[in-house]
Amino acid sequence: MGFIGRGKPRAHEQDERFAIQKEKYGGQQYSQIYFARLHYMRSVLYSLIPNWKPQVPVCTVLGLEKGKECIIVGTIYKHMKLKPCVLDEYSKERSAVPIVKPHNFMHPDDHLVLEDESGRVKLSGDVFSPSTFVTGIVVALHGKETDAGDFLVLDILEAGLAPQIEFSLDSREEKYVVFVSGLSVGGSSSNPLHFQLLEQAIASQIVRVVIAGDSVEIPHGILNGQNLGTKELSRLSEPTKELDIFITQLAAAVPLDIMPGPNDPANFSLPQQPLHRCLFPGASTYNTFTSCTNPHLFELDGVSFLGTSGQNVDDLEKYSDAKDKLEFMERQLRWRHIAPTAPNTLECYPFTDRDPFFMESCPHVYFVGNQNKYESRLLKGSEGQIVRLICIPKFCKTGVAVALNLRNLECHTLSFSINLDM
Amino acid sequence: MASRGSVKSFYRQKKSGGITKSNSKPSPSTKKSSATIGAALAQSPALVSHGSPDLKDDYGESEQLLREFDVNMAYGPCIGMSRLSRWERADKLGLNPPEEVGVVLGKGKVGLQCLWDGRV
Repeated sequence: MGFIGRGKPRAHEQDERFAIQKEKYGGQQYSQIYFARLHYMRSVLYSLIPNWKPQVPVCTVLGLEKGKECIIVGTIYKHMKLKPCVLDEYSKERSAVPIVKPHNFMHPDDHLVLEDESGRVKLSGDVFSPSTFVTGIVVALHGKETDAGDFLVLDILEAGLAPQIEFSLDSREEKYVVFVSGLSVGGSSSNPLHFQLLEQAIASQIVRVVIAGDSVEIPHGILNGQNLGTKELSRLSEPTKELDIFITQLAAAVPLDIMPGPNDPANFSLPQQPLHRCLFPGASTYNTFTSCTNPHLFELDGVSFLGTSGQNVDDLEKYSDAKDKLEFMERQLRWRHIAPTAPNTLECYPFTDRDPFFMESCPHVYFVGNQNKYESRLLKGSEGQIVRLICIPKFCKTGVAVALNLRNLECHTLSFSINLDM
Repeated sequence: MASRGSVKSFYRQKKSGGITKSNSKPSPSTKKSSATIGAALAQSPALVSHGSPDLKDDYGESEQLLREFDVNMAYGPCIGMSRLSRWERADKLGLNPPEEVGVVLGKGKVGLQCLWDGRV
């Protein structure tokens, strides 16, 4: 199977860190993953503190002394008034807290708490705004304990962008990676003609297509608790059959990575495991077809890619504020963690000895799928890192895919629309 | 509490209330070294002979060593993990867990679960 004119880049899948087949559940709770996260992030922060404030001593939360300036490192917990709590069912007075914006739980009274193994302390001060933070990130704080018993923050240190393997802008050939997400095959808003146009647009310079989640829309409405007849059963499996036909045609032309998304038939919690091969009887016969985890980490021609199907950024949007989705993505890179709200509000597997969402190295491309619109920016780090941030819009709503030039990390959209009323 | 498949082990009623002893101990896995509250045999001879409650349950020095390892917060929470996997994690993360604990766990004649196992 030779691709005429398509230069094959060196590809390297790195999804093992997101695989959970080898994990054995022993009854552990989420305290274990928080411990692992604190350990790895604290090692990073301890290495940065001497350059940040070399004169200030570092201590634990329990070791705080009133009025004495010091640095503490721990996990942030954001106490949110409007966040639904499972214990509210048991409280005697049911105070009706009106949720004005159900998609966002922020409130002016939200406050932050810092926690390490020894204890926790409430944070005060106006050098920071709780609206930009979420539960689960690990930071170093410079400040002192007040008489009121809380910690007055004078300065904050985030880990910052991780070290990155240098990206050489040398004379490469023009090679493109196409990103698409939210195909929602089988759903009412999906149009098969759009997909045909996408397939036709795969020119020889495109070396890979990445499908970032939500490829099918299963008609859940027919699952009403009754036994399903053969007609309903075939309706249930129609979307995946249709998707397999499309994917097969695509895989015949170009290497393809498909990631599961929040609405796909995969496990619900992160990291989502690859969609099973049996869902793709046609496409899985091609060795260009790769079913990947969500998040998905891979390397192509020396360019490292990291991306998700959107859950991690959408969850940040519920519990914090930013001017756009790209700002959430930039914060995640600076916190060196792509899913800080996991496991607090974002479902994830209770790992015991590692946190796979912690970034040891910075990717060159960070993409997030199933967003409302296309957005992109080139982020520059303090140590010379460069990251192309990409928000991939939902294809079923916008008809837009994204093409990335591997030579210079420039991005543009591929727009497909069938507008019959011209 | 480690749940390993059978519902019985998950809903095992082990809490027999603090100081009072219960004579029925249905669990077959009670070993001498894994101390449980209400181990009737350990209490009565002491009460009879010394006239004061023997607050120290019947366990040896190695169990004491392992319990100190369990509650040491430097190695993270202990609930939900076997002692050996927690020791291995501490080793993997470079926390230098005490060698003796690793040796004792390797020998295997000791309680493999943390001291809270079955109690919470």
